[in-house]
Amino acid sequence: MTEPLPAREAPADPALRRAALLFAATLAAVAAGPFVLDAYTVNILIRALLYAVVALTVDVLWGYTGILTFGQSAFFGIGAYAAGLAFTHLGFSPGVAVLALVGGIAAAGLVGALVGWLAFGYGVTPIYVSVITLVLPIVVTQLLFSGGTFTGSSSGLSGFDTLDISIEAWFWLAGGACATLTFLAWIALRSDAGRLLVAIRENEGRCQYLGIDTARLKIGLMALSAAVAAVAGYLYAGFTDVIAPELAGFVFGTQIVIWVALGGRGTLIGPVVGAVVIEVVSAYLSGELPYVWNLVIGAVFVLVIVAAPGGAAAMVRRLWIWTGRGRARAGPGPAIEVVPAAGGGPLPDEALALEDVSRRFGSLAVLQGVSFRVRPGELLSLVGPNGAGKTTLMRCIADGTERSGGGVRIGGHAVGRGPPAECVAYGLGRKFQTANVFDGLTVAESLRVARARRETPSLWRRSATLRLPAAAARVVAATGLDERLADEVVHLSHGLKQALELAMVLALEPRVVLLDEPTAGLTKPERTLIGTILTDLVASERLCVVLVEHDLDFVRQISSRIIVLHQGRVALDGSVAEVVGSELVRSIYAGEPQALAEA
Amino acid sequence: MTAQILDVLTTAAMLFIVCLGLQIVYGVMRIINFAHAAFLTIGGYSALVAAQLGLNPWLALPFAGLVGLVLGALVERLIVRPLYARPLDAILATWGLGIVIGQLVTIGFGREVQFVPSPVQGTVEVAGATYSLYRLLLVLGAGLLGLAVAALLSGTRFGLVTRAVIMNESLAEGLGINSGLVRFACFSVGAGLASLAGAAITPLSSVDPNMGVPWLVGAFMLVMVSGASLRSLALATLLLGGAQVLISAYASPVLGGLTIVVLAAVILRLRPKGLALD
Repeated sequence: MTEPLPAREAPADPALRRAALLFAATLAAVAAGPFVLDAYTVNILIRALLYAVVALTVDVLWGYTGILTFGQSAFFGIGAYAAGLAFTHLGFSPGVAVLALVGGIAAAGLVGALVGWLAFGYGVTPIYVSVITLVLPIVVTQLLFSGGTFTGSSSGLSGFDTLDISIEAWFWLAGGACATLTFLAWIALRSDAGRLLVAIRENEGRCQYLGIDTARLKIGLMALSAAVAAVAGYLYAGFTDVIAPELAGFVFGTQIVIWVALGGRGTLIGPVVGAVVIEVVSAYLSGELPYVWNLVIGAVFVLVIVAAPGGAAAMVRRLWIWTGRGRARAGPGPAIEVVPAAGGGPLPDEALALEDVSRRFGSLAVLQGVSFRVRPGELLSLVGPNGAGKTTLMRCIADGTERSGGGVRIGGHAVGRGPPAECVAYGLGRKFQTANVFDGLTVAESLRVARARRETPSLWRRSATLRLPAAAARVVAATGLDERLADEVVHLSHGLKQALELAMVLALEPRVVLLDEPTAGLTKPERTLIGTILTDLVASERLCVVLVEHDLDFVRQISSRIIVLHQGRVALDGSVAEVVGSELVRSIYAGEPQALAEA
Repeated sequence: MTAQILDVLTTAAMLFIVCLGLQIVYGVMRIINFAHAAFLTIGGYSALVAAQLGLNPWLALPFAGLVGLVLGALVERLIVRPLYARPLDAILATWGLGIVIGQLVTIGFGREVQFVPSPVQGTVEVAGATYSLYRLLLVLGAGLLGLAVAALLSGTRFGLVTRAVIMNESLAEGLGINSGLVRFACFSVGAGLASLAGAAITPLSSVDPNMGVPWLVGAFMLVMVSGASLRSLALATLLLGGAQVLISAYASPVLGGLTIVVLAAVILRLRPKGLALD
């Protein structure tokens, strides 16, 4: 008789256990706080904890997602004025309090979404978000200044009736909210969905070419963090009973960024501790040494930005590793689970079609009248001398905003003026010329980001396995990436980065794959391996591959069809034998113009 | 009517003078110098010191420019240089530097508002309107400064090298241009111009440790809208500064105060290149 195998235990998650313990300990400390601290300190801590909540939102936006915002103060101010205005003009009652809270959250969320919509439209420069978040607090404070007796103008509002609870209760409320939010944010950010934010910070373009609507994600994040900041502002107004336009101002907005930078961006706990510590010390010191204290904060801030961008948290971590307690955590990677292909019904007769595609830069026509159709199971190589327009053509296929004229159909869907994510939705995958990957993520995380379009990632869980379609799993296994799943991408060799990008593209389960010089800079064995994988995929999965390549031997070995581009036009379109034997091709590459004219 | 036209012209001139230093730094280094406000303040206090030393008020301008130039050179070496590759961090570090300078000025000169004598007094008659002579001279000054910077950029070897770095830094380096030196020179000149601008605006307002801050965001917006081109900057200050004057006069001063930043934000959203002509 065989013993039944013991049920496989859920993998232990030591980091989660540690975080939960820390959370419990913090809650206990918050509970005990009012009994061991003097009233003055408790008073200061309540404000500091509410500031810490705003700092948390700035950390999620800036530290994790790479959106530097100076305007989070505006949302704090909106929340504070929602409370102050409601309590002043309507009087305090539980109903009004709820109404004001909901109103404040809604107003901040809407303004946040509006700011996001302005800042993250396709083609808007990345610095624009910093521009618009500078404008926002200025607009809000000017509106508050001009509000006359309604907003109290420059002196603000004070002395309104507010929630009548003890100072201990306020402390528990602020401390509990801050600790809970930090813990929840920690869980969300390390979850599979949370890694998407880091992917956006590391390489937003790649995310879009993995079919992720980064603009929508960032707009949602902006609205959510605005709402959270508004709640903190609401509580601030309720507790202090004094509000002034400065709460929404640009200077306070930069102050929050300073806390986050000093505490350690991208760590959650760093900014929270940074905000609390700086606020408490300020309260004690600024009375006696106001200018010197601000001078010290300013000088330390400059020093940290220049010399230690990771802030205090990074220094503590380095110290931890230096004393030998911490170690680089590169445990075994997750197990790979092969998912069956989604199978989109019978294959259409046409995988990709271009009709009269053109691209002009001013008066310069880089592409003119390019038309061809590619069937599933074809491996088409685009060749041509430098400047023939090969890479431009790839761009025009993968991004609807790039063409000047003509039409592109992917899997039968006409691509309008849609951004890359739309082309990906129609079944396109694009690999760039130089490896375009996420340096700050691990190999497994990168592949999960590539799967996000197919399988909505969990907002609170990290998956223990890595689910990949067969083609991507094959690339991972054949190149040895499966041994490196837990390693950060930045540590990979050039060849492995190229392989990873190919695996990420295949993880999309595309029907059409664009490859721009996939073998550039690879060794001969790596080149052969990629060639074999590609031809197998084309044969077994009826994939349509369009390849730009300079290595004509490689092209000859793997292609089923070749298109020669010359001066932005299709010069020749035929089988490998036809093209290789052609006089025309020889003359184009040898640069004999009269031979071309005769052809 | 005449007074209004003069208001538009002189406001645009002041904005142009204030933005010039910021634009040079942004144009060459793609770095937004948030210490610009502090350099304006330094210029104001340089004018104050010059007055206390008994210098001719006209000499206060070159004196302030020199102080800014030297301090700017120091700042570039110590703070800005390590941040070339991190433009967002450069914004933050220069903002932090601004805080430091503001506090040092407060400790050194006190918080109170102080006044600096104007080099010229009185008013003149222009087409039936009585107008401040100093403000009119600012228009002349802006024109001269603009021409001087344009001549520096297009007429000298330094300018040629600088434009090469603006267009393609790695290519310029490949041709043997020391782009680090170009950046060093540009940041110093930018800080010097900011300080000069601070001294130039003080006779119209007053001097206090935070006098530069209200100018900062507007100047930043104007520079973002005009990119690296001097002509675009002139156009932007005329259009947006003019809109500010007119809206303040006919609608409300509050809306007027928002005009530049809101218009710039709208322009940049609709046309990411802004008003850049080239």
